[in-house]
Amino acid sequence: MKINPRLKKDLKSFLLENIQKEQNRVLVMSADILGFDERQVLGKKFSDLNWSQADYQVDRSIIAGIIIKVGSKTIDLSLMGSLSKLSNTLYEID
Amino acid sequence: MENLGIDGKLLLAQMINFILFFFLVKKFVVKPFTAFLNQERTNEEEKNKLLEKLKKSEEASVEAEKKAKEKMKKEFDVLFIQAKKEAQSIRADLIKQAEIDALEIKDKNKKLLEEEKNLLYREVKDKIIKTSLMIVESALKESLDEVSRKKVTGAIIKNYEGKVNFNEN
Repeated sequence: MKINPRLKKDLKSFLLENIQKEQNRVLVMSADILGFDERQVLGKKFSDLNWSQADYQVDRSIIAGIIIKVGSKTIDLSLMGSLSKLSNTLYEID
Repeated sequence: MENLGIDGKLLLAQMINFILFFFLVKKFVVKPFTAFLNQERTNEEEKNKLLEKLKKSEEASVEAEKKAKEKMKKEFDVLFIQAKKEAQSIRADLIKQAEIDALEIKDKNKKLLEEEKNLLYREVKDKIIKTSLMIVESALKESLDEVSRKKVTGAIIKNYEGKVNFNEN
């Protein structure tokens, strides 16, 4: 069965667009719901990111602070992350 | 002669008798007896010779035995010295081998002890880190209320000066 080349092209561009969107999609996780001021500050601090389609989630396990995920990349500014880093540092020390 | 009381005939007869007796004794008694004596003497001499021979033979055998004993003693001494040397050599080898084995065992045990020590150290460290983090985490979760958490979050965001450096998942 032969696929229509135009259809194939459209499908390809749609999938690429979706992947691009997914890659640029920002997910912010925090222990409590972030207020407007905090979101403003975030937007200023990370101006390279696309904040128009940002998702905000609450995760109590991070204790305090935030975790920002963009695609497959993560920036961990939470207390849980700091504790985890501290733990790794302690393991590295002989 | 008759006046003297000597009977000539009797005297003659006695003399003849004596002579006859003498010859008979000489022939049948003295001769065999002499021969017997000679034979006995010869036998005695032979016996003596034999005894002498035996004595000499015995002396020779005693001498040979003495020499053999001396030779044996010398051989024994040589063998004893050789055996002693060999025993000393074996003893030295055994001691050397034992020392090497002891060193190997010591090193092995030392390594084992070191490994166990490191393992124990890592386990203790792991437990201390986990317990400490658990305590800190628990204390933070219990002590931070919503206002405090928001303050901390705000402070973290405000104080963040780093570049946007994301970790790849």
